[in-house]
Amino acid sequence: MADAHAATGHDAHDHKPSFFVRWFFSTNHKDIGTLYLIFAIIAGVVGGAMSGLMRWELAEPGVTILTQWSGGDLDAAANFYNVLTTYHGLIMIFFMVMPAMIGGFGNWFVPIMIGAPDMAFPRMNNISFWLYGASGILITLSLFAPGYGSNIGFGGGWVLYPPLSANTGSPGPAMDLLILSLHLAGASSILGAINFITTIFNMRAPGMTLHKMPLFAWSVLVTAFLLVLSLPVLAGAITMLLTDRNFGTAFFDAAGGGDPLLFQHLFWFFGHPEVYILILPGFGIISHIVSTFSKKPIFGYLGMAYAMVAIGFVGFIVWAHHMYTVGLSVNMKAYFVAATMVIAVPTGIKIFSWIATMWGGSIAFKTPMLWAIGFIFLFTVGGVTGVVLANAGIDHYMHDTYYVVAHFHYVLSLGAVFAIFAGWYYWFGKMTGKMYREWLGVLHFWVMFVGVNLIFFPQHFLGLQGMPRRYIDYPEAFAQWHYWSSVGYAITIVGMLVFLVAMIDAFFFYRRKAEANYWGEGATTLEWTLPSPPPFHQFNELPRFDKGDAKAF
Amino acid sequence: MTAGAAALAERTQGGVAMLPANSALAEEVHFFHNWILMPIITGISLFVLALLLWIIVRYNAKANPNPRKFSHNTLIEIIWTGIPILILLFIALPSFDLLYKEDIVPDGKQATYRGDGQTADFVFANDFAEGRTIVRAKHIEVYVESPSGRTKLTHRDDYRLDGLGDPEIVVQFENPPAAGDSVIVRGGRSIVGRGERAAIAMAPTMTIKAIGYQWNWQYSYPDFGDFDFFSNLLPEEQATPETWLLDVDNRVVVPVGETIRLITTANDVIHSWALPAFTIKIDAVPGRINETWFAADREGVYYGQCSEICGVKHAYMPIAVEVVSRPEFEAWIDEQRALAGMEPMFGEDVKLASAAAGDNGN
Repeated sequence: MADAHAATGHDAHDHKPSFFVRWFFSTNHKDIGTLYLIFAIIAGVVGGAMSGLMRWELAEPGVTILTQWSGGDLDAAANFYNVLTTYHGLIMIFFMVMPAMIGGFGNWFVPIMIGAPDMAFPRMNNISFWLYGASGILITLSLFAPGYGSNIGFGGGWVLYPPLSANTGSPGPAMDLLILSLHLAGASSILGAINFITTIFNMRAPGMTLHKMPLFAWSVLVTAFLLVLSLPVLAGAITMLLTDRNFGTAFFDAAGGGDPLLFQHLFWFFGHPEVYILILPGFGIISHIVSTFSKKPIFGYLGMAYAMVAIGFVGFIVWAHHMYTVGLSVNMKAYFVAATMVIAVPTGIKIFSWIATMWGGSIAFKTPMLWAIGFIFLFTVGGVTGVVLANAGIDHYMHDTYYVVAHFHYVLSLGAVFAIFAGWYYWFGKMTGKMYREWLGVLHFWVMFVGVNLIFFPQHFLGLQGMPRRYIDYPEAFAQWHYWSSVGYAITIVGMLVFLVAMIDAFFFYRRKAEANYWGEGATTLEWTLPSPPPFHQFNELPRFDKGDAKAF
Repeated sequence: MTAGAAALAERTQGGVAMLPANSALAEEVHFFHNWILMPIITGISLFVLALLLWIIVRYNAKANPNPRKFSHNTLIEIIWTGIPILILLFIALPSFDLLYKEDIVPDGKQATYRGDGQTADFVFANDFAEGRTIVRAKHIEVYVESPSGRTKLTHRDDYRLDGLGDPEIVVQFENPPAAGDSVIVRGGRSIVGRGERAAIAMAPTMTIKAIGYQWNWQYSYPDFGDFDFFSNLLPEEQATPETWLLDVDNRVVVPVGETIRLITTANDVIHSWALPAFTIKIDAVPGRINETWFAADREGVYYGQCSEICGVKHAYMPIAVEVVSRPEFEAWIDEQRALAGMEPMFGEDVKLASAAAGDNGN
C-alpha cells in the first residue's frame, strides 16, 4: 500500500493502483466516497424494497400479502411486518442516508472544497468504510437470525425499546446481532467524524479561515461533532442492553431494579441529534446548489453557518420530546416543549436565507435546482408539522400515529433524500466525468415529487384520525388513505426506474463528457476548478485564499 | 349494552380531521390544533410556497438575465429571526396552559349547605395539597339551587370571599339564601373547558387501573372491590366491519360526566393506552405507574388502539370505553361484583346509591 502511494505521489496524477488495491485498501478520499455511495445505493434499494412490501400489505385492509411469505400464518406475517418497519428504519438511517451524505458526498467534497489533498487520516478513512461493510453483514445476519420464537429478525422498531428488545420480548440472537451491527456502524461513524473534524480544522488551504469555508464543509463539521458526542451514548445504551440480555444485568429491567425508561432517555439523547446528523449535510448541499443556479452568492453566509451550529447545539437538549407519553413530570414536558420550539428559529433562518439567495438571481432550473426547490418547500411542510408535534398537549393525541410518520418522512424522505438526489445530480458529472441527460433528470424529479407527496401527505390525515403506526392491519375506515398512500409508492417506484434509466443512459449511452465547471459562473467552490473527474490526487500545489478577500463560496 | 351509532362514525373513510371530542378538555385540544396551530402552519407553508412561485416567475434566467449580487441585509435577517420568535411565543402560551390541564389530575371539590334564611356566611375548607390551595376568586364557584333550578352566582355582585389563601374561606352573601335553598360551593385550581364551558373540574370519583399484557388489557376497579377482567379483541365474526380491530369482548365502563383517574402499568413490555376521543395517550411501562384523567361528555362507545409497539399482535389489542349513565354504571358494577363473588355495592335502590356517590356537576 505504502509503495502504491509513493508511486502515485510522484509522477502522473492519474497513475492509479491496481483494482484490488485501489478499491479494497483504498486510502483515497474520492475512492472511499465512491465506495460509500455504492454502499448507500445498495442499502437504499433494500430499504426501499422493504417499504414497498409494507405499502403493498397496507394497500387494503386485512392481512393478505405478507401471509404469502409466512405460509399463511398470521403471527409470522405480523412479525415479518414488524421486522420490515424496524429494518427499513435502521437501514435507511444508518446504511443509506448517513453513508450517502457523510461518507459519500462528505468524503468526496469536503477535502476538495477546503483545498486539501486528502483526508487527515486516509488509512482510518479506509477502516471507517470497512467497519460499515462489517456492520452491513451483521445487520443482514440479524435479519435472518431467530428473533421472537421461530420468527426471524427483530421486530421491535428501530428505537429498540426494552423490554421488547430485551429477553422478555425478543429472546433470539437477532437482537444481539443487531446490537453488534450498530456498535460497528457507530464505531465507523465516530472514526469518520474524528477524521472530518481533524481535516477541517487542520487542512484548510492557506488563508481559508473558518468564516471563508464553504457551507457544505461547515455542515459536515457540525455533523461530525454531533456524531462524536451522540454515538457513544447510543453505544453505551445498546451495550447495557447487550449485558441485560446476556450477562444478567438489569439496567432496563424493572424486576431487577432497573428502568426501561433509562434506555429511552439514552437512546433519544443520541436519537435526536441523529436526525440532525441526517439532515445537516443536506442543508449544506442545498446551499451550494441554490447559490450556483441563482448565480448569486449565498445570502447571509454567517447566519447560515451559525444557524447550523445552533441547530446542532439545541439538538442535544430536546430529546425527551420523543417521550411525552412515557410519564414524564409536567414541568419536564413543559421544558422540552419550549426547547423544541426554539429549533424552529434557526431552521426558519435557513429557509428564508435560501429564498433570499434566489431572490434577484438569474435562476436556471436544472435538475439539481428542481430537487433543491422541492427540498425547501417540502422541508418547510415537514418542519411546521414538527412545531405541531412539539406541543406535548397535542402530542398526547398524535404520538405514535401516522401524523408522526408523515412528519418525519417529510423531513427525511422528502428532505434528506431530496437533498441526496440534488447533490447526486449536482456532482454526478464531477464525480464520474460523464453528464446525464437533462430531461431524464427532470422527469425523475417530477415523478418522484408526485409519488412521495402522494405517499406521505394522506398519512397526516390518517394520523389525525388516530391511526397508530407500526400496524399490519387497520380498521376499515382507514382504507381509503392507505390505498392512496400505496398508489403514491407505486408512482415513486416508477420515478426510481426513471432514475435507473437515467444512470444507465449516462454511463453507457449518452457519452457526454463533463467539463471542469459544467454549471458555469454560479459554481464557485474549489471542486469546479478541477477537471471532471478530478485527478487521483488533487492540489499538489495548494490553492491560496490569503491574498485579497478571495472567498471559497 | 350496545355501541352508540354516533361513536361508530368516529373514524370515517377519507376523514381528514381529528376524531370528535368527547370531553371539555378534548375540545380545548381540538381548538388549539384546529384554530391556532393549523392556521399558522398552513399560512407559513403557503407563504413559503408563494415566495418560491414568485421567484420562479420573476427570477428565472429569461425574466432576469443579470443576477444581482447582494448577500446581506441586516434588517430582513432580524425580521425573519424575530417574527418566528413572536409566533412561537403565541403558540407556547396556550400550549403550556393546555399541557398543565392535561397532566394535573383535577382536585376540585364541592360542598353543599342548606340555607335557613338567616345564615349569610358559609365556610369552605381550603384543605388542598400544597401548592394547590385556593388563593384567587376565580377558583371558587358558587351556585344556589332552589325548586326553580340552579343559578350560578357572580363574585362581588352576589357574594364576597373572605380568607383566600387561608385554611378556611368564607363565602359571604349580602342577603342570606332562602330557607330550603341549597348553596353549592365548588373550589379547585383546575379550570377546564373553553368559553362558556369553562368550569372547575372535580377530583376523580373513581380510579381505573389498566395493565398492558402481550396482547390484551386487564382492567381493575379498585374503588369497587378491585374486581378485574381481561379485555380481548372481539373476533372478526362477532364484530361489525366498522368495529373490527376496534371493539373488544369486555369494555371499560365509566359513568358519564365524572372525572375518572386512569393509572397504567404493564406486565411484560411497554404498551400505550390511547383514546383519541378523550385526547389521551399514556404509556403502560413495566415497573412504573402512570396517571392521567378524563371526564366524558356523552354516552356511547369510544375506541382506541395500543400505541406503542409491543410485538406481533400489537395491532390486535384495542381499547374500548363504554360511557354510560350513573345508574347503568352502578348496575354494571354490581354485575361485575357478582361475577367476582362479591355482594352488590349499590343494591336495588339505585337512586339512593346515586345520591350517596355525590353530585359531580350534572
